[in-house]
Amino acid sequence: MSSLSAVMYREGKIRATNALFIFWDVIYPLGYLLVFGVGMNQALGFSGLPTNYHAFFLAGVLGMAGFGIAANTAWSFFMDRDNGIFYEMLTYPMSRGEYLVGKVLFNIAIGLAQAFVTVSLAATVLGVAVRPQGFPLLAAAVVVGTAGWFFFYAIFALTIRRNDAFNTVTSIFYFVFLFASSMFYPVDPLPPVFRAVALANPITWHVDVMRFATIGQGDPARIALEAVGFIAFTMVSFAGALIVLRRQG
Amino acid sequence: MSEPAISVRDLVKLYARRGQPTVRALDGLSFDVARGTIFGLLGPNGAGKTTLVRVLSTLTRPTSGTANVLGHDVVAAPLDVRRRISVVIQETAVELFLSVRDNLGTFARFHGVRAAEIQARAGRVMDDFGLTGDAHRKVIDLSGGFKRRVQVAKVFMVDTPVVFLDEFSTGMDPILKRSVMEKLRREAAGGRTIVLTTQILNEAEELCDDILILNHGRQAARGDLHTLKLLSQGVYDITVTFDRVPPGVEEELAATHPIRLSVSQNTVEVTVKEDHGGILAVVGALAARGRVLRLEVTGASLEDIFVELTNGGRS
Repeated sequence: MSSLSAVMYREGKIRATNALFIFWDVIYPLGYLLVFGVGMNQALGFSGLPTNYHAFFLAGVLGMAGFGIAANTAWSFFMDRDNGIFYEMLTYPMSRGEYLVGKVLFNIAIGLAQAFVTVSLAATVLGVAVRPQGFPLLAAAVVVGTAGWFFFYAIFALTIRRNDAFNTVTSIFYFVFLFASSMFYPVDPLPPVFRAVALANPITWHVDVMRFATIGQGDPARIALEAVGFIAFTMVSFAGALIVLRRQG
Repeated sequence: MSEPAISVRDLVKLYARRGQPTVRALDGLSFDVARGTIFGLLGPNGAGKTTLVRVLSTLTRPTSGTANVLGHDVVAAPLDVRRRISVVIQETAVELFLSVRDNLGTFARFHGVRAAEIQARAGRVMDDFGLTGDAHRKVIDLSGGFKRRVQVAKVFMVDTPVVFLDEFSTGMDPILKRSVMEKLRREAAGGRTIVLTTQILNEAEELCDDILILNHGRQAARGDLHTLKLLSQGVYDITVTFDRVPPGVEEELAATHPIRLSVSQNTVEVTVKEDHGGILAVVGALAARGRVLRLEVTGASLEDIFVELTNGGRS
């Protein structure tokens, strides 16, 4: 446990050297919701949705934020490698698993703060009818989601040696995962191939769970299946990241 | 006799690269390191020193053979090993965006030092390393030499019984280096085992109780300085300062295939392996070539032994 807290402390210390960065991390999903969500709602109407667009998009914004935090946290492996501290840290008294989990813990805390601010202001400013009974599920989805995507990205960050190559990979992932998902629009009206890709996309599973948690939209049986799917994705990603981390050095 | 701090048996590390011949970085090494000693790993570039430190510090898995640190196998129980070691790797390894104080504190926290104790230790260590004035500066703003100070200083924040220092003095000024060497002696006297790799042979000569010379991943020699010097019996350094170097003397000496030869300004330095009569003959011949201002004949230094055993790293 002390190893986990030491890694978390270290991540927090490093992030705290740039308070603006933390501030931005916490408020940018809200900004996205206010600018993009409200804009789309006003401009296009989205009369086919059972709710207004910014209520629908709330879960998408939270999913996007967790995805972004995970990518940034994985990218920090490059920073650690450039500083030389990465290899020194591998000689510290902690297991490789503790290193991975500890690295994401602080950022999960940021993710939770981000979700709290975004959901609170969506409710008070935009009048989104969020369900308080869904908050525990939302918190769990933020925790598992941030961790899952971090472990997934860590596989690539630890395998790829070049920073620019990793940035290309994350750009591709952003494009594929975010747009072929239920983040910005409902999946059901999509063309069959596009729909199949979106349904197989873990971002869709993650966002659907958060949409159910925040505004109660979605079939509970399908949401349960998606939740199990995302937990399995997280576990497989963790195992993959662990294998790659053990090969370092 | 107590269990050794480090025990290595038939250690092999191969690096296989596609399309290239396999490199045997470590080739059947076996040795023990006694507790509370300063153990020097010497060898030319590519001899396997850093690979050995990486295996012992659980960074790299050996291809075969075993390595134990305080009785814990580096492959079977890496976490138990890591709980007992602190490591200064060859690259500068620091938290660039943290202050000097936070670098020391973060490292100590990983090693389980309590918060209250961290403050006291950090103050002491920063004093020792001349870092107090920079305590609150971010390490990214420090010079390369100071970054290295921070890295080495971290080792003194914790009490791990085994310390690995890979080329620890790189970038240190002579005064700080001397001070760190003194601290290392004190730590060893207190029971800590220090394993250091170095290319600076007088550093090893001054500091190490026990020396292993590696070449091509194998043991070239092993023992304390006196034992190693016995391996080089009959090796002498001859230094002659002339009023001016006699013409042709360098070529004549080179023709006798000395271990080392250098001519700088008006001083000739030559290392030869001869019996007593042979040495006197060389000295006599040199003295007859010109007006000698200074003459010195000494026994072999560690550098001479190193060059002889490793053949300059070319054998």
